[in-house]
Amino acid sequence: MRRRYLWVTLAITLFAIPAGYGYVYWNKSGPGAGVYSREWKPEPVHAYWDPDHFYQSVQTLQGEFKGEECITCHTAVTPGIVNDWRASRHASPGNGKEQVFCPACHGSNHQALHMPTPKVCAQCHENRVTQFLNEKRYGFPSHALAMERAVDAKHFADKPKAEVAACLQCHSVATKCDSCHTRHRFSAAEARRPEACLTCHSGPPHPDDDTYFASAHGKKYLAESAKQDWNKPLAKGNYATPTCAYCHLHDGTHQVADKTIWKFGLQEVNPNTSGNEVRRAAWVKVCGDCHDAAWSAEQLTGLDRERKQAWRKLYQAENTLKDLRAKDLLHPGAKQRPPYPMDAMERFFPHARIGFLDGQSSAFYNVSPIERDYFEMWYFTNLGAYKSAAHGDGLAVGRWHSIMDKSLTAIETKAQALRTQGAVEKKMLGRRADPGNLWLEGEYTTYNREHN
Amino acid sequence: MRGLCFPMLIMLPALAMAGEKLPAWQFTNAQCLSCHASRDAKLVAAWRVSNHARTVPKANCVACHGVDHRGASARARRDSACTVCHEKPGREVVHSYATSKHGVIMRLEEAGYDWSQPLARGNYRAPGCAYCHLHGAEHDTGNPMSSRDPFQTSGEATREATLNRRQAICGDCHAPRYLTEQTDTGLRMIEIASMKLREAREVITHYQDTLSAEDRNTLDTLFIGMQAHGRNVRLGVGHQSPDYQWWHGQPALDGDLLRIKGVVAEQERRTLTDRARTTVGGNSNAEQP
Repeated sequence: MRRRYLWVTLAITLFAIPAGYGYVYWNKSGPGAGVYSREWKPEPVHAYWDPDHFYQSVQTLQGEFKGEECITCHTAVTPGIVNDWRASRHASPGNGKEQVFCPACHGSNHQALHMPTPKVCAQCHENRVTQFLNEKRYGFPSHALAMERAVDAKHFADKPKAEVAACLQCHSVATKCDSCHTRHRFSAAEARRPEACLTCHSGPPHPDDDTYFASAHGKKYLAESAKQDWNKPLAKGNYATPTCAYCHLHDGTHQVADKTIWKFGLQEVNPNTSGNEVRRAAWVKVCGDCHDAAWSAEQLTGLDRERKQAWRKLYQAENTLKDLRAKDLLHPGAKQRPPYPMDAMERFFPHARIGFLDGQSSAFYNVSPIERDYFEMWYFTNLGAYKSAAHGDGLAVGRWHSIMDKSLTAIETKAQALRTQGAVEKKMLGRRADPGNLWLEGEYTTYNREHN
Repeated sequence: MRGLCFPMLIMLPALAMAGEKLPAWQFTNAQCLSCHASRDAKLVAAWRVSNHARTVPKANCVACHGVDHRGASARARRDSACTVCHEKPGREVVHSYATSKHGVIMRLEEAGYDWSQPLARGNYRAPGCAYCHLHGAEHDTGNPMSSRDPFQTSGEATREATLNRRQAICGDCHAPRYLTEQTDTGLRMIEIASMKLREAREVITHYQDTLSAEDRNTLDTLFIGMQAHGRNVRLGVGHQSPDYQWWHGQPALDGDLLRIKGVVAEQERRTLTDRARTTVGGNSNAEQP
């Protein structure tokens, strides 16, 4: 009898595990990429952001070409990039090394050209690419996992691909090296400058540019950057003021994920776990290039205090929203709006998403105004405060927190109005008011439903 | 005495002009035109039909080139010649460029560029404002690549011409296929932003009469906000800034669109309960003797 149970369990396990793997593999084998790849087709431009998945050479020109031949033609066709290459270390590597011509990265068959990925760069720069791939051990957020993060986002899969084309432009930091070392110069000195990061690290959820430039470090950078020799390695004594890369890619290690304590800032973390104490020590060591250890540690504790304060406000707002959801007071309710994207259970149990673990990162459209207010408080204002505190823009921390206070008050006021109106409706109508098709129809809303 | 310094400083150019005492290498705008109208007739004619000739005060020769004839071309090619006006009133126009890869490279390298080179043939590693908008010394700023609306010029013929011109300018560095695909996606992205605006407009038009003056004002404010987000999408596409295409554009449009629907929906709810209240009230009145 007991043996029979064992066999049944074993058979189910043996079947379930390969079936699970098979299902994920099947899901990932569609025209798109990632776990929702069967739900969408890429825009043609996506080929340049994720070449391994999407790039196909359609060149009509036939033949195999040598480096010098590429240069001869392209000096006439696209002179800008040839000028760039000529000024690069690939063209004059020094130390008796051989020049790196176009075919080394793009191939020599003009009908089967390819766009270089980190794998291609690793042919020579293996050390850097290994460091970069090592980020994956630390999970999100990291550069190396950025592309997976983007294509696996539910709102990315759901929205028309032309609308979200910009997402992959930044998240392509995982799939090619020229986000920071721009083509075809591929300069290390350029990537050391803080400006190299700001095309992606700017805007409401990560105002890394504004907060850094407003800090004492950033102000010193703006005043003195012309005097700095940017060819020096990012190591102790070489720089008068730290830049993004100096702290986050210290010693030029292509690894931004190993020191992060508060991560993206969308979840509260325990900053004093043993792992985080190791990360804290790593930060103190970096700051230690210029600052006293005790002082540096105090700065990090200050950040923890700021985060605690921010989360107190966020939880208060989140609880108010969860209370409204529990009492069915959200308008539109989950049944009266387009369903939360990419969720099979949504059809049976429509559900308003509140909080990080519930998937609110993808619930910033087709939701009720009060949910959107909280989304903005959490995704924009909270992260503004976090980045200001982390980068040392002290004045802005206070500004962001006062905006959070105002958002919280506004959310409470709106919640009260929803409760009052809900009570009136119950008394007068005995049911929820039906908004008809207001939230379900409309030129964009309909288009979005029909196009992934 | 110190109080007099500032007015005197302001008046200096005027005094100089009045007295015709400019040094030999400095010129007034009228003097520029008197020579260049015949020397570079095409160039001056192009400027005359451009928006720059219609602004008040005019963005004339000396506004961009300065009064000093030495290095006048190089001076006008630099971004600073444009940003001095175009950074106002908001920072979107310049900031959408500054956050693009082109803008970043320009900021890092402009001090080292040889600005005496013509704006063509990939002479500059990164394109500045003038490289695209006044490419090859085109002085009609609306012609090479309209700054107002990069793609939607009037009529198919001009639209085609704009797109071709754009291909040629960007083609100094980028492959034609890359450009076509970027442009097509950009146009579709702008169209999606327009859909959101039209959806909002539709809702406002449909429900306007049911709303209080206060609600109508709220809707106007939200719609003006949406127009600004839509412009951000266009600027993001034109200047290739992912931040403007996305964060300052599409999700911002989503937010204001749902807020517009929210204002309307809440009013509908109140109308329904008010109607019920009146009916109930009416009934109870009827019961009274």
